[in-house]
Amino acid sequence: MVSRRTEPESLLPLRPSVFHILLALCDGDLHGYGIMQEVSEHTAGQIRLGPGTLYGAIKRLLNDRLIIEVDERPDPELDDERRRYYRLTDLGERVLKAEVRRISEMVSVAQRKRLIPKPRT
Amino acid sequence: MPERIFQLMLLAYPRDFRREYGWLMAQVFRDCHRAAQKGNKTLATARLWLRAVVDLIKAAPQEHWHNLRKDDSIMNRTLRDVIGLVGSLVIAAAAFVLLGYARKHDVQAILTVGHTLDALATVGIVGNIVTFLLVKAAKLNAVRAALWCFGVVAGLLFALVIVVGGRVDPQFSLVKIGVAYLISFVFWFGLHWIWANNRTPLSAN
Repeated sequence: MVSRRTEPESLLPLRPSVFHILLALCDGDLHGYGIMQEVSEHTAGQIRLGPGTLYGAIKRLLNDRLIIEVDERPDPELDDERRRYYRLTDLGERVLKAEVRRISEMVSVAQRKRLIPKPRT
Repeated sequence: MPERIFQLMLLAYPRDFRREYGWLMAQVFRDCHRAAQKGNKTLATARLWLRAVVDLIKAAPQEHWHNLRKDDSIMNRTLRDVIGLVGSLVIAAAAFVLLGYARKHDVQAILTVGHTLDALATVGIVGNIVTFLLVKAAKLNAVRAALWCFGVVAGLLFALVIVVGGRVDPQFSLVKIGVAYLISFVFWFGLHWIWANNRTPLSAN
């Protein structure tokens, strides 16, 4: 059962869609469409999640307890009450950080091999 | 209208998934459609539909696969599995023994349901072993696997009996045999369904 796995590394590597959803939820609670927009924005339109991919990933993230559904609304007056908002959990944050570390290490290797230039300090 | 078409597309997803997330997906699609109406309407709408179709082709089979591999089935507990399998084989063996006894002693009361006992025993033995192996090896949902396995096994055995039985038994009755295999399918699948829906504390081990 997935919920028994509490070691972030056991859930890595993350699928790109899952990684971007977690990244989108880093700044605060979002509903489905909000996540979709945020992902599209921070990938400069390169990743556009469809409704099926989005909610399929959300379902598994809820199962794995990387995100939870929240009742609070950032601005109840502006929002449709029927929307569901999602929040990153502690485990979700740890998994996201572990994935970022994993990617950073890969990037470092690529830099050492001069496949990509080192960032200027 | 576009939302209605999208809701029809949602039928491609598994029922449980649709029930839980269908309306949310429709809501997201509505938001996207509304956004597409601003600016270059035709191009944006065409893009939206193209993305929706590609997403459906990608995500719907994935959800069906996840649905099939749900590990909240009864057969994810070894002790329960073994009890279930042994219990099923005992039932099948009991049907065989009863049938053998009736034939030996010519007990008409039992022989009138002989076809059913025969079908219960053969479908039970083959179907349970195949279901058990499939669930264990591929981690499929036990109830779904049982539905397909018993359906296919009962169907194949029925076809085999039609081919062979018609030649060797002059009193062969297609209707009786058909009813016997239907009963055996309902019996075994029903047993699996009940087993799956009545989790005892044993499953908490």
